[in-house]
Parts: sequence; structure tokens; C-alpha cells
Amino acid sequence: MTAMMGLLALSGCGSSGSSQAQVGGVQNVRLMVWAPSEDQSKDSGQWLQKCCEAFAEQHPEYNIHFVYGVADEATAATQVAQDPEASADVFMFANDNLTVLTDAKAAAKFGGIYEEQIMSTNSQTVTDSVRADGYLYGVPFTTNTWYMYYDKSVFSEEDVKNLDTMLEKGVVSFPFTNSWYLPSFYVGNGCTLFEDGTVEEAGVDFAGEKAEVVTDYLIDLMNHPNFVVDADGSGIAGLRDGSIHAMFTGSWDAASIKEILGENMGVTSLPTYTLNGEEKQMMAYAGSKAIGVNATSDHMVAAVQLAVYLGSAEAQKLHYDLRNVVPCNTELLQDPSISSDMLVMAQNDTFDRTSILQPFVSAMANCWTPVENMGKGIRNKTVTHENSKEQTQAMNDAMNSNGIS
Amino acid sequence: MAAAKRQRSAKRTKMINNTIVHVVLAILAMIWVFPILWVVLTSFRAEKGSYVSTFLPQSYTIANYARLFSDTTILNFPRMFANTLFIAICSCILSTFYVLSVSYCLSRLRFKLRKPYMNMAMILGLFPGFMSMVAVYFILKALGLSEGGLIRLALILCYSGGAGLGFQIAKGFFDTIPLAIDEAALIDGCTRWQIFTRITLPLSKPVIVYTVLTSFIGPWVDFIFAKVICRANADYYTVAIGLWRMLEKEYIDSWYTCFAAGAVLISIPIAILFMFLQRYYVDGMSGAVKG
Repeated sequence: MTAMMGLLALSGCGSSGSSQAQVGGVQNVRLMVWAPSEDQSKDSGQWLQKCCEAFAEQHPEYNIHFVYGVADEATAATQVAQDPEASADVFMFANDNLTVLTDAKAAAKFGGIYEEQIMSTNSQTVTDSVRADGYLYGVPFTTNTWYMYYDKSVFSEEDVKNLDTMLEKGVVSFPFTNSWYLPSFYVGNGCTLFEDGTVEEAGVDFAGEKAEVVTDYLIDLMNHPNFVVDADGSGIAGLRDGSIHAMFTGSWDAASIKEILGENMGVTSLPTYTLNGEEKQMMAYAGSKAIGVNATSDHMVAAVQLAVYLGSAEAQKLHYDLRNVVPCNTELLQDPSISSDMLVMAQNDTFDRTSILQPFVSAMANCWTPVENMGKGIRNKTVTHENSKEQTQAMNDAMNSNGIS
Repeated sequence: MAAAKRQRSAKRTKMINNTIVHVVLAILAMIWVFPILWVVLTSFRAEKGSYVSTFLPQSYTIANYARLFSDTTILNFPRMFANTLFIAICSCILSTFYVLSVSYCLSRLRFKLRKPYMNMAMILGLFPGFMSMVAVYFILKALGLSEGGLIRLALILCYSGGAGLGFQIAKGFFDTIPLAIDEAALIDGCTRWQIFTRITLPLSKPVIVYTVLTSFIGPWVDFIFAKVICRANADYYTVAIGLWRMLEKEYIDSWYTCFAAGAVLISIPIAILFMFLQRYYVDGMSGAVKG
């Protein structure tokens, strides 16, 4: 009890600034860690607590007092950026929020041995997803993208390679009005965003004939009797009542779909689509989720070490075992028990082969609404074969403009 | 004969009019009650998921309610409910006291800053409260109220602190109580405080009820201040944040029906409070003091 009081008193000072009490070579450290609630709940195995305790055991030079908070990857970056000083030392964020963090100067850069260690256990594409202006800002622990789930009793493995073949055999649902999904058709036919996604000045190229033919294709797709728009959860509801046989989503729906389809669940990377007789590969936006360190942390070394540990093969393995979080550590992916998992295969195949890195330059913010409007326009039949040319050009113009200047 | 006929036709016109009015009212009532009915039905729906193709659930269950209180490892609804109830009750008591005191002073006392205060209150009231949110957050942080158990105190302060600006309705009510009663009490030797507690308040039940209701509902349903102040401290989340989290993409499919159940549950305390205080409430809206 007295020990705890002492810790509390120390942590009280720690948060106000510079105290780094040394007691017999052991450093007292207070680390605040934020993770989604599933990582901390008893039912799903308390991944965070287990990892943090393991880390504390490996580092007897620290006397660590962990403070856990709940912030999921999608919102953590915004929370940290709002008030870095009152935020976690170590947190998990989705890489599309990286500029939020760097703009607020809230994320610490990884360098030296830590950078080497991260680089050596991750693929180049994955580390690029958390890199800005040449600096590494996080330890990636999983990839983040979407792919296709299907009913094996309706489609064969050969069928799912092409969307148009699938439409002949069963009902396919696609989030047509969601601009995270819809660009996959345009990108598949050579449209680009900020060149390779990093050159902001280059702008978006969703114009010209290569985009117009895709718009025309999408209009026909919309009119296909076996095509259904997935919006507000109608896709998974259709899968549940049997009216839909394939849908596009990510790992977050895996458990529900497994429950619905059971043994018949198939999951694979994105199919191709047939555009004027040619096969084009759909290309998803992909990103990663990573562990970041607060730039204002009082215990920077310990925080960076903890972040690296939470992204290590050991922690990723535990994450996979407890919560099915798909690992991205290259060594771990060699492990046959992991690489034989259908979901891991599909997610990694999508990441490697049928996706582009989702650009996180600031101008990307202008790219969401125009594409969504295009999807809605096609659904509402205001975009037709007659005006598809102008509408595509208008979408491209809007994507290249912030609406002010 | 002719008179009787006229009377009958007048009766008939009245009946037709009544029928039309009632049909229209019934239709409007249905439109109004429909969304509530839908939420209640969804809360008893056995099929999972956020989207269903039928209006009426195919099968019914109370498992959604049970899950809210049993599955507490990820979203701890009972704790959120308790947090919210505690915060709302404390804020309600404080705000009610502030509002009634300020109103009484402005209605009965005459002092130099009375007019300027009322003008200031009106101008401040024109701005949305959320405008000050960032400043409020940093002030609370500077006072050390943004961590741990003190978050509850911070929220109570947030919800009740500005209550003194919302005096208009209660002041208007106090103004209708004849000043002569106060004067008589003064002559009998009452202090201002005694007049307030022994004479004005017993005559003002309707407006007290109104104040209690509004100052309870405010914190009970607030989302934005709770979200800004709680941040990552999941132990102190209020119901509004919890319900919002149930609709995030990871949870929506399995928690949607529980969300509806939660929505029904949070309306219960308000409904109880309202039903209990309703008879006074109606009087409160009509305004005057009798006798």
C-alpha cells in the first residue's frame, strides 16, 4: 500500500514535468498507454496488459507504473493532437491520421537502432505507410484495408477472380456510395492520386478517357440485376438473410461473417473487372495501424522501447492469437500456422498485390466527397451515359480543388 | 320540428368536424410516435445487425437488454449509466439552486448591477455554450480536474456552472407573486432568506418542477462536453459516449440492437421524473398564482 502511495506521489510529479527519480539505479517511470478497449478487456485476453507486463519484466532498469486509457486507432491521433501533454505516451493510430499528428508535432520520430529494427522486420510498403518527410513515426503492427468475402457454395475459386463472372452466378454487394471503396475501379484503370501518393503538387488524375470508361462501366454495373449497393449495413444484412452472396469489407466484419457463413466463408483479395473486353484489377486503398510515441513524453526512451516491443513479432503473435489481428511482421508471416489462415492470406495479398497505399498528403482531404457524390449520382441515375464525360471531369476538378481557392 | 331539425344538423356538423379533427390528430400522433415505436421494437429484435429488410422484427427477445448489463468488458453500460445518473443528479440539484436563487434576487432585490447583469446574461445566452469548450477544457486541465475520479466533478461543474444565466423563466414567474406578500413577511420579521424559502418557494412549485426537469435533462443527454473532457478515461464515460461507441464500425453489427435497448433505458429516468412532476408542470406553463 505504501509502495503504491509512493508511486502515485511520484507519478503526480512526473506528469507536471521533469522529475526522473532514480532509486538505486532503477528509474521510476510512469507510462500512459492508450489502446482500443478490446485489447484491454478480460474476455479478449488483455493483450495490452500482458504485453506491458512482459515489457516491464524485460526491463528491470525501469520501475514502471502503467496507466491504461481507451482510444481506438481511428480516433487516437486526433485526441493526441488536440492536447499532446495530457495524452498517452504510447498510443495506437491508423496511418491515415499521420498528418494530423505531424501537423501538431505530437508524434516522436523513430531513429537509430529502433528504426533499423523496425525496418528489418517489416516490408518497405508497410513502413512507407508511417513515414512522412523521410522520418519514421510509428511501429506498424497490422495492415488496414478491405477485400472480398463470399459464399463458397455460390462461387468457385475460379469465379471470384473476376467481378463480372461473379455477377452472372450470384448477387454481389459493394459499398458503391462510400469513397473509401469506389475509387478502386478508377485506380484499377490507371487513374492516379498524387503520383505515387506522396507528391501533393502533382494532384489527382481521375480525368480523361481512362476515367470516363470507368464511369460508363460503373453505370452499367449499377444497372446489373445481380448488383446491390451496400449502404448502412445492408450488405451484411443481405448476407445474413441469404439475398447477397459476396460483399466487400475488412477484418472488422470477419467475425460476424464467419458466424453467418460458417464453413462456406470465403475470403480473398480483390477481383478484376472486365472493361471493354480487357481485365482490369480493382485496387483498394490500403494503410496500416501503428504504435506511436508522444513527442512530449517525459520518458522518451522507455516509451520508444515499449512501442517497439508492442510492435514486435512476439506481441503481434499474441495479438493474433487473442484477437485475430492480422500481423504484418515479415518473420511472423513465414510461420505456417499464421500463413495458412485464409483471412491473413487475403489481407496480405490485398495489401501486396491489389491495393495502393492510401495517400495521406493533406490534399487527400478533398478527394472523398467528389467520389462519394459520383457514386450517389450513378445510384440516383443523375449520372448517365449521356453526361458521364462531363460528370467525370467535374469529379476530377472537385478532387483537385479545396473549394476555396 | 324545424328547430329540432336544425339542432340535429348542427349536431351532425359538429360530429363531422370532430371526426376530421380526430383523424388528423391520430395521423399526426402516429407519425410522431413512429420513430419511438421503431426504437422500442428494434430494442427487442432478435435478428442481429444494423440493417433489416422488414419493419417489424421477425422474432423478439430481451437478450439485448440482458447483454447491456452482462457483457461489460468492452462497453460497460451499467457503469456508464451510474456515472451519468450521478452527474445528472448532482448537476440538477446545483443548477436548480443556482437558477432559483438568481431569479429570486433579480425579481425581488434592487441593486446597481441588476440591469447590467440581465443584459449581460441575455447577450451571453446568444452564444452557443460549445464555443467555450476548448477554454473550459484547458481551465479544467490546469486545475487538475481532467484525470481520474475528478472528471465527474469537472462534468458537474460544466453542467451547473452556467446555470445562473438561465434565470428568465423563473424570474418571470417570481415577478407574478405579489410583492405585498413579501412586505407582509418583512414586517413580521422575516429575513430575505426566510422569505425565499418559506414563502416564495412554496408558491412556486410549477417553476421549480420546470427547472428541475430542464436541469436534469441537460447533463443526462449531453454528448459533446462529456466527450471532450473524458477523452481516453473509459471508466468515466457517460451513457451518451457509450451509445455513440456502439455505432462505430467495429461494434455496429453486433451492438446495434443493444444500442436501441440502451436508448430505451435512458429514456426511463426522464419519463419517471416527468410523470411524477407532470401535474405541477402543466400549472407551471399556465403561469399565474392563484389566491
